[in-house]
Amino acid sequence: MSAVVLALLPGAPLLAAVLLVLGRVGRRAAALTATTVAAGVLLLAVGLVAVSRPWATSGDVATLDVAWIGALGVRLHLGLDGIGAPLVLLTSALTLLVCAYLWAGDDGDPGPGAHPGLLACVLLVEAGAVATFTARDLVVFFVAFEVVLVPMWFVVARFGDDASRPTRAVVALRPDAPRGPAARADAASRFVLYTALGSAVMLLGIVLLAVRTGTTDLVVLARLGPELDTATQVAVAALLLAGLAVKVPVWPLHTWLPAAHTIAPTVGSVLLAGVLLKLGSYGMVRLVLGLVPAGLERLAPALAVLGLVGIVWGSLACVAEHDLKRLVAFSSVAHMGFVVVGIASMTPQGVQGALFANVAHGVVTGLLFLVVGMLKHRHHTADLAELGSGLRDRAPRLGWLLALGCAAGLGLPGLAGFWGELLAVLGAWEGGAALGALARPVAVAAAVGTVLAAVYLLRVLYLVWHGPRSGGPALPDARTVELATAVPLAVATVALGLLPWLLLSVTAPAVRLLLGSGS
Amino acid sequence: MSPFATSPAPAPPTAVQAVDAVLLAPVLLPAVAMVVVLAVAAFLPRRHLLLDAVAALSLAGAGLALVAVVVSGDGSGGARGTFCVDGPGGVDGTELARACSYVSSPLSSGLQAAVVLAALVCLLLALDGPGARPRAEHHALLLAAVTGALVLAGARDLMTVVIALETSTLPVVGLVALRRDRVGAEAALKLLLVSVTSFGLLLLGVAVLYAATGSLHVALMRAAVATGGVEPLPLALGIALVVAGVGYKLSAVPFGLWTPDVYAGSPVPVAALLSTVSKVAGLGAVLVVLTVALPLVADTWSPVVAVVAALSMTVGNLVALTQRTAVRLLAWSTVAQSGWVLLPLGGGLAAVLRPSADGGAGAGALGGVSGEAAPAAQAAVVYLLAYVVASLVAFCVVVLVTRHHVDGSAHDLDAYRGLARREPVAAGLLGLALLSLAGLPPGIAGLLGKVVAVGPVVDGEVWWLGVVAAVNVALGLAYYLRWTALLVAASPAAPATATATAAPGVPAAGATAVGASVLEAAGPAAGDAKGPAARAVTWDVRPAEGLALGLSGGLLVMACVLPNLLVGVAALDGVPLWP
Repeated sequence: MSAVVLALLPGAPLLAAVLLVLGRVGRRAAALTATTVAAGVLLLAVGLVAVSRPWATSGDVATLDVAWIGALGVRLHLGLDGIGAPLVLLTSALTLLVCAYLWAGDDGDPGPGAHPGLLACVLLVEAGAVATFTARDLVVFFVAFEVVLVPMWFVVARFGDDASRPTRAVVALRPDAPRGPAARADAASRFVLYTALGSAVMLLGIVLLAVRTGTTDLVVLARLGPELDTATQVAVAALLLAGLAVKVPVWPLHTWLPAAHTIAPTVGSVLLAGVLLKLGSYGMVRLVLGLVPAGLERLAPALAVLGLVGIVWGSLACVAEHDLKRLVAFSSVAHMGFVVVGIASMTPQGVQGALFANVAHGVVTGLLFLVVGMLKHRHHTADLAELGSGLRDRAPRLGWLLALGCAAGLGLPGLAGFWGELLAVLGAWEGGAALGALARPVAVAAAVGTVLAAVYLLRVLYLVWHGPRSGGPALPDARTVELATAVPLAVATVALGLLPWLLLSVTAPAVRLLLGSGS
Repeated sequence: MSPFATSPAPAPPTAVQAVDAVLLAPVLLPAVAMVVVLAVAAFLPRRHLLLDAVAALSLAGAGLALVAVVVSGDGSGGARGTFCVDGPGGVDGTELARACSYVSSPLSSGLQAAVVLAALVCLLLALDGPGARPRAEHHALLLAAVTGALVLAGARDLMTVVIALETSTLPVVGLVALRRDRVGAEAALKLLLVSVTSFGLLLLGVAVLYAATGSLHVALMRAAVATGGVEPLPLALGIALVVAGVGYKLSAVPFGLWTPDVYAGSPVPVAALLSTVSKVAGLGAVLVVLTVALPLVADTWSPVVAVVAALSMTVGNLVALTQRTAVRLLAWSTVAQSGWVLLPLGGGLAAVLRPSADGGAGAGALGGVSGEAAPAAQAAVVYLLAYVVASLVAFCVVVLVTRHHVDGSAHDLDAYRGLARREPVAAGLLGLALLSLAGLPPGIAGLLGKVVAVGPVVDGEVWWLGVVAAVNVALGLAYYLRWTALLVAASPAAPATATATAAPGVPAAGATAVGASVLEAAGPAAGDAKGPAARAVTWDVRPAEGLALGLSGGLLVMACVLPNLLVGVAALDGVPLWP
């Protein structure tokens, strides 16, 4: 039974997407189909997790294993455990919200609305991401990892929002910055070329692992991988990390992200932040930490330093950024820096923190992108100076959602952003085994990074939320349908902040297994 | 001393050759059909349908015969040979004793399957086009080229290789010239000159290899190298000359720079033939000489092939990025793809000779006709099969669009703008083919081809080549995706495009927003009302073209859903691609 459900999780959205592309359905029918399928997938995922109880055991609680490519020994092997389950839930929840948002926005608003092609792309991204989070075979993982590329490229290139001018900062740096459709093409191709290059490098690592161990099954590899000699493990880890670092993204490979986020429609940004970036960090945990721990141990100091630079660099960029959407994008770089530091620490606390921060970032950044998208629809710009101040008075619902997102983003205790980053820093502090003498300095510097987050997010609140009610046209507040898409994320933000054990207890057994096999 | 020094030095073979007609059936059918076509044309010159039927049925028959040969094998995956001679040491009945000029092995069957399929599709594509105007000549030339390519896949002595290679090349020159205009003549002349020059190099190389190893039989050459005592310098020179002489057939840089001009100057179905059948023939020749005859000196030839592969994919992709014409873009992409086909051979000795489970590569397996399953060769064949299927689909759609386009064969990529709205099936298949060539889902066939192709390189730890390949994935993606994007582009009609390009110049944000929303609004509207850009005559797919597209498209979809069909062909002998 669980095998059927596991097959349906990626299978149903895939089939629905194919139907939406092939059948020439109308917008309403497409929205109805996509939302129904997304809701069904979420229900199935919740049901599967509730029934199979991944928090009770460390291994896979549900598996599916079917022959696929005999000549390569590749099987369609899917499984669900405590590491994948939260991400599957996050993905299916975000997809449902995104579909609902598109449906609700399909009444003359600027923006794509419930375009069948866009909905198909959203469902394809869901299918690819869920398959990646449940794949138990290297080749299946790689194929699923790549599935999201083309649909996401379409979302940016075809449905991207090129209406706003480049901000002053961008124009100052690049007077010839592309605009209009050219900006769309530029952002989309930058995204796809960067990530495709990253995937190709990752593929080298995957094939090396397969050739040296003679299997592609992740369950078998979890045993054989750590037994490889250190030189091979380092080579595999280096290739995998280099490839995955583009997706996460790790500084200095992050330069595709702000452009893609700025141009992508709101739903694209939510999916990018909430789903696509998770593929990279999940890959680091599942493939690098899980399969070649000795290799990661050698590279951990460098990885931690790059993560740290990402925290500081992303935060500093946020401090100087004028465009609210780009600001949230750069803050993603900083938040994912904490995830990377947590993984590099190779301690239970650090990895737990990384997995927590991973989910928290998806929820909080998803919320922020939704709110910023709503603001942008109303203002046709996301420039901090032009948005005007006093949002809490002009549009209280939007204002409070923004305030909640910012507060969670700066890591306020009691909200989702706090626990993950705290545990990641704690893990780095204790990560002397992997990080050596760098452990303490990295932990301290990462902690200082959280202060920078407070600086730029409080600046946003000061400029937009706080202050006197600025003049200009009246600002319609969030409509009920918009609230319906944002409030679940707000609730999740508070819930994860107040009850962190909800998530930590799910990941704990799997993390113990993961780190246990390494030593 | 090498572990292979067990066999005595080979002496010239003397015995009478046995002929196995069943084994030769896949090769003989097209050859016989060629004669029949010419005979029919001599007496019944107006019976076009009969000619078409003879040609197509002979190819289909060749395919069936191929299946029969593979199925009738003992399943062990060993090679069965014909035109064999007894080599030295025949009395003790060892495998080394026999050297065959033609074999049927999993390797040759895989290549022949690709040839038959590609030839059938190219024939169907050509039937209604101007390129097949004198039916009998066209069909006879095509069948001759196909016969050459089929023989080449099974050829296991260098004289047969040389003759088969020429048989598969010279008729194509005639096919190119059937376009009967100045451009066609120029292209034919160019192809002729290149192939004759390469032929000279190849012959010279074969002569040097003969001098170095003392045999033309592949099995005996392998044995000679295994026993040692072969001068390395003549061997290297011979290999270099052979690679140079065969490289043009694969369109590998720097030998394949004729490709774009000849493709652009040929009837499109002939360009399809060049990019599929010719490439299979080229790979067949490379594999016979390098991985079957001389696997033990892979350290000598592998770096050369690695450089050629890296150059091909990089140059091909970089130039393809700048192309605006569909056929020229495909031509440069084919140059890049040949780099991918050669890529596995750049993995060095480890990738060619994998120590077998029974204690190392024994002299028996190496000396006889079996033991052709080099991992690198398998990987190259897998990639080639994925490429051939995708390339056929792309050419089918290009033929259809070319026929419907006012500008004729010189059409640029804009002819494909919005094709998905007008012709969803053709556009969908073209998109799948392009993504398969790029190696991205949903083109899983091509993606797995790339996974398999980098295997030997990674196994041999030739990291620079791996990185070049990775960069080329991104380079290739850039233009394949651009073309795919055109298929679903929103605005086939001119006005919307004009608005969109004018809008960025307007400074006010509001105006730009209006421009963008016009673009969005114009998209579906223009698509529904088959706008002026769909000025092509009503889209009619003739039966033969439809069959070609259906055949190749169906295979591509199947290869993407059940990739084992594709990968399994190369692993017919049960030797896994990965250890």
